[in-house]
Amino acid sequence: MITTFLKHEFKALGRSKNAGKTLAVRIIMSLLILLLMLYVVAAGFFMDMILKKVYPHQSIIIPFCGLVLIYFLGELFSRIQLQELPTLRVQPYLQLPIKRNTIVGYLTLTGLFSVFNLWPFLLFWPFIFKQILPSAGGLAAFSFIIALMGLSVFNNYLALYIKRKSNLNGWVFLVTTGVLVLLILGDFKWHFYSIRDISYLFFGNVLKTPILALIPLALGIFMFYFNFLYLKQNLYLEELQTKKDKYKSSTEFPILNSFGPVGDLVANEIKLILRNKRPRSAMTMSLLFLFYGLMFYLGPNKHGAGSDYLKVFSGMFMTGFFIISYGQFMFSWQASHFDGLMVSKVSFSDFLKGKYLLFTTASTVAFILTTPYAYFGWRVLLVHAMMYLWNLGVTTNIVLYFANRNAKRIDLSKGASFNWEGVGATQLILSFLLFIPPFIVYVPLKLLGLPDVALAVLGAIGLTGILTRGFCIKFLEADFHKRKFAILEGFRNK
Amino acid sequence: MIQVKELKKVYSGVTVVNIPALEIGKGESIGLVGNNGAGKTTLFRMILDLIRPESGQVTSNGEPVAGGENWKTYTAAYLDEGFLIDYLTPEEYFYFIGGLHQLSHAHVDDILNGYADFFNGEILKKGKYIRDLSKGNQTKVGIVSCLLQRPDLLMLDEPFANIDPTTQFRLKNIIKEQAAKGVTTIVSSHDLNHVTDVCDRILLMEKGKIIKDMATNSSTLGELEQYFAIGQTVTAPAATELNIDPEENH
Repeated sequence: MITTFLKHEFKALGRSKNAGKTLAVRIIMSLLILLLMLYVVAAGFFMDMILKKVYPHQSIIIPFCGLVLIYFLGELFSRIQLQELPTLRVQPYLQLPIKRNTIVGYLTLTGLFSVFNLWPFLLFWPFIFKQILPSAGGLAAFSFIIALMGLSVFNNYLALYIKRKSNLNGWVFLVTTGVLVLLILGDFKWHFYSIRDISYLFFGNVLKTPILALIPLALGIFMFYFNFLYLKQNLYLEELQTKKDKYKSSTEFPILNSFGPVGDLVANEIKLILRNKRPRSAMTMSLLFLFYGLMFYLGPNKHGAGSDYLKVFSGMFMTGFFIISYGQFMFSWQASHFDGLMVSKVSFSDFLKGKYLLFTTASTVAFILTTPYAYFGWRVLLVHAMMYLWNLGVTTNIVLYFANRNAKRIDLSKGASFNWEGVGATQLILSFLLFIPPFIVYVPLKLLGLPDVALAVLGAIGLTGILTRGFCIKFLEADFHKRKFAILEGFRNK
Repeated sequence: MIQVKELKKVYSGVTVVNIPALEIGKGESIGLVGNNGAGKTTLFRMILDLIRPESGQVTSNGEPVAGGENWKTYTAAYLDEGFLIDYLTPEEYFYFIGGLHQLSHAHVDDILNGYADFFNGEILKKGKYIRDLSKGNQTKVGIVSCLLQRPDLLMLDEPFANIDPTTQFRLKNIIKEQAAKGVTTIVSSHDLNHVTDVCDRILLMEKGKIIKDMATNSSTLGELEQYFAIGQTVTAPAATELNIDPEENH
């Protein structure tokens, strides 16, 4: 049965409409992971030498033992952020004569297939074989390995449990992250306790009495069983998505009324953003990224020669993040009702004007919110203003041009089961492409010693883009009509 | 109202719609019937310019629909949930559609009051987004949003599916009223009773072709039942259906 499930999942992966994209993303991601793993392997292999360098006066086994729990705490933290939930769409199997234990067992077991579970092996095993085996003997080394595996399994299922819980309630995620941060701060900042000492206390004793290794193993098995039971009890809840029955009230945006049908379209789109998980996260992200500038401007070279590049970049980023992150999936957000839009009395130029209005609003809000950065000098504000113009005049047009070439359906209503966490990384990689054009303009002029001219040119290009919007709309409309049917076809493919 | 000329649509080598000529006059009420895959929805989509035909064209009021925007002002259609904006509440959606046709909120409310029976208290002021409604209730929203537009041409694809019997009867009356007002209606359905009751002209499609085009009269229902029942026995040689066969042939 398990093999049948696996086969079905591979088929689902290969036959999904977005297979091409997800595959490409997977390849890029796995390359990155491979690179990271190489570092980990190197770190694991040379760990004894590194520890010897850092702690030249004591036996390196002591700091090693102290390190283990710290590692697992950090691992738990990153697991909660990054690990993907194994998802089998259980619904089609529930009414078939398959034991529920089989389905749940499969779901729980596949949770182990994660790169995170490889890391302890790569990181710690070399050390165990190189140092512990010769000095403490085979049994101690073996018990060490058992203890590490137990902790990995424990961490694995604890992270999955927290993730499952936080899928139902977003606060769980925030609270656990907060608790973990406090745990770490409690040690390293406030010195209430020392995780290193606790870790050494335990693993140092494992070396003497190997039987202690059964404790982490028992914890791991307990957590596995706990997850198993949780899934079994929530087999209905998990994929079938119980919704909280809250009264959904109708809202209106009176300011937009003055824009006529364009305003109505924008009002709808704002509701789209606020009422669906994925676009909402694009919006919150762009709000969070408004603090991005602090990272740059508080940096060490705030008055350095190269900082104008940073201003251009962060100005572009902060005033344009929404355009890029939300616009990247444009018109796919509306895929599920695109047929209806095409038939209703909405002209496509109005539709496009709505997009411009939305982008302009978002960008303007972002620009206004970033004005306090003037604290770091008026020039920051000037650069931001130029990049704001650039985003409105150029980035919007690029984004909309590519929107005409995007025919992939996004099902907004499948909020929880859609793995939107995975999108973040891709989104960033792809959107970095949009950061190249302003630098193509800026860098040569700057290198010629004309930084002010460079800024002026950026702003002027942006302004030209804004002033020629009528023309752009006509062009995009004609372009859309050439591709309309392909887009509609793609959006209809569920 | 609608002219179809040499219309053809091919999907991977299979012709799914092939209509040399079809003329639908103003105020006619058309019933479109045919088995799954006969090409009804594809024809609807081509009339609405949602699919590009391989050849031929559809004109509405003398203008080609392809690339045009004019027909949208007097055409209202509901084919499936893909026509609804599902993250809006029904009220918001109605106001949006009404707004496109320059109807004020009060005006929209006024019109919606007239459909209180049809909604059966399940649509308005329920505090639900359209996506949280059942399929039948979504159909109701779609149909009323069409009527809200006061169309000259009303197109409904299987509106009787998913809705309860009471609503089916109400819907039949609504379609009849619209036809009486001179609205051209095109309705597809698998329910032969309903479609012969409501429509005064029946188009029977098979494998993309219109094989029968008849005015509805007392014998139409029998004629249609005969066509569909025979089709069934040819493809499904089950014992029970073989028993029906001789009866139907007499």
